[in-house]
Amino acid sequence: MEDYILETENITKKYGAIVAVDHVSIRLKRGEIYGIIGRNGAGKTTLLKMLAGLARPTEGSFRIFGESEKKTAKLRDRIGVLIESPGLIPNMSAMENMRIQALMLGMNDDAFLKELLNDVGLGEVGKMPAKRFSMGMKQRLGIAIALAGHPDLLLLDEPINGLDPQGIVEIRELIERLNKERNITIMISSHILEELSKIATRYGILHHGQLIDEFTHKELLRRCSERIELRPSDPTRAVTVIETMGIRDYKVIDNNIIQIFERLDDSGEIVLELAKNNIKTLNIAVKNEALEDYYLSLTGEGGTVR
Amino acid sequence: MFNLIKMNLYRMTRAVSTWVLVIVIAAFGMLQFGTLKLMMDDPFNMFDGAGTSLIGTETMTGTDTVSTFLQNSNILIIVSIFIVIFANAEQKSGFDKNIIGITKHRWKHTLARWISAVIGMTALLIIGYFVMFALCALFLNSFTIGSVTAILRSAGLMYIGMIAFSGLFFFFTTLFKSSAGGIVASLIVSLGILNLIEMLLDLLTKKFISNPRFVPSDFCLDNVVMSFKHASAGTKTILGFVALCLVYLVLTIGGSMLLQQRRDVK
Repeated sequence: MEDYILETENITKKYGAIVAVDHVSIRLKRGEIYGIIGRNGAGKTTLLKMLAGLARPTEGSFRIFGESEKKTAKLRDRIGVLIESPGLIPNMSAMENMRIQALMLGMNDDAFLKELLNDVGLGEVGKMPAKRFSMGMKQRLGIAIALAGHPDLLLLDEPINGLDPQGIVEIRELIERLNKERNITIMISSHILEELSKIATRYGILHHGQLIDEFTHKELLRRCSERIELRPSDPTRAVTVIETMGIRDYKVIDNNIIQIFERLDDSGEIVLELAKNNIKTLNIAVKNEALEDYYLSLTGEGGTVR
Repeated sequence: MFNLIKMNLYRMTRAVSTWVLVIVIAAFGMLQFGTLKLMMDDPFNMFDGAGTSLIGTETMTGTDTVSTFLQNSNILIIVSIFIVIFANAEQKSGFDKNIIGITKHRWKHTLARWISAVIGMTALLIIGYFVMFALCALFLNSFTIGSVTAILRSAGLMYIGMIAFSGLFFFFTTLFKSSAGGIVASLIVSLGILNLIEMLLDLLTKKFISNPRFVPSDFCLDNVVMSFKHASAGTKTILGFVALCLVYLVLTIGGSMLLQQRRDVK
């Protein structure tokens, strides 16, 4: 049996007639960084809120650490949460905000809290109140608070929202470090596919509350890499012809489009070889899709995704 | 639960609003003493014919200070502001999102927050009362402490009333999920605006229900607590008073816990 840390089964959230999350089924393996990509209002936050125990699913169920939703109550302290903007007490220092979380968890280890603050780069802020922090500092403190309970699973909702480029790099490096050094499984949402593509190992595209596609990092690179895309009149025979030409790196999608990832300069030769075998080439193009174009092609819309 | 209370008390002692209210209640204690002294000395004959019970009084006892301090609508306003600010702070800052999801029973957060609020309220009342009591003892020539048992009895009964009020204010804040909503609802109670509605209800009841012993305002917390004659009340009246306070407390805190348990965190 696979070691799934999180599994959702047709999880759904409705607010009256509005379906915010629509029958989403996701499986998250231990050690993964799962990126949820979607436009604003796609249902990312609602999905994460349900998993974080902040909202109740209208339908469906989920399992965390292999336990059903009802039994996860006692395992919930193994989850770290940063939903939307970081929840900080504005007049308190970073350490005091950390202490609040620690007290609730029954911890009394200031050295560990100090270590966490150092890890997120806030070791030197002293008694400065959180209200005077920059957005990046607040996000990092939010992550530190989420880490206070030694979580195995971290749910991060748009942690790079509102950050400057330097801040984005810092948060990205922090997330990668937490995943590698502490083996924390991370589910992270963003509407910036470009950024998620640099850290996530697997992706789910959420659109109008539905999970419309899921793929690994390797698949993403492939889908966005340069390729010949052709539509032959007889795809089955065309595949045989392509293989006889010695082409191995190809993929058939939707049963009628063949994507070829090698010999990109030989498109003329491929068309000729197909013609020799009485296969018409209805359409052929060399494509190199940017991440944003790829996302838009999936959702079929223009939008705020960068 | 103990950890949650510790967390809340830590937050309370570091909140600016708590210390502002400590100053406010101490000032209120002084103000109450000043008013008392003015009424007792009456140097400008301001209260002639006003029917105030303290005019012409030779002595003032510790029990009198309890009713002067605790049966004052201003004290209710201070208590309501404290409860509302404290109860709503986690939601306002968004800190509740860090903690509510990771606990087994969400209602425990509500209960712990209310218990902590009551601890804070108790400290505030003690500070304010102590200031007034100390000033009376020091500067009123006619002041006698009187029976300590009587003071404790009066203070205890009024404290039960205050706890019931804290539940009511806490419930409004949980229900409206905002300081503004909580404060407005609490002020309606504290300022006696609700009394008008209760009076209307009494009149309507008299018109339609023939039983003269059934008076709705006798079951309204603000009316009962603020007009309770704790010094002279008999056992039956006291038991009725305590029972009513308990009913309100169970309903308001139970309701708040249920809301927290069932409602999504925004």
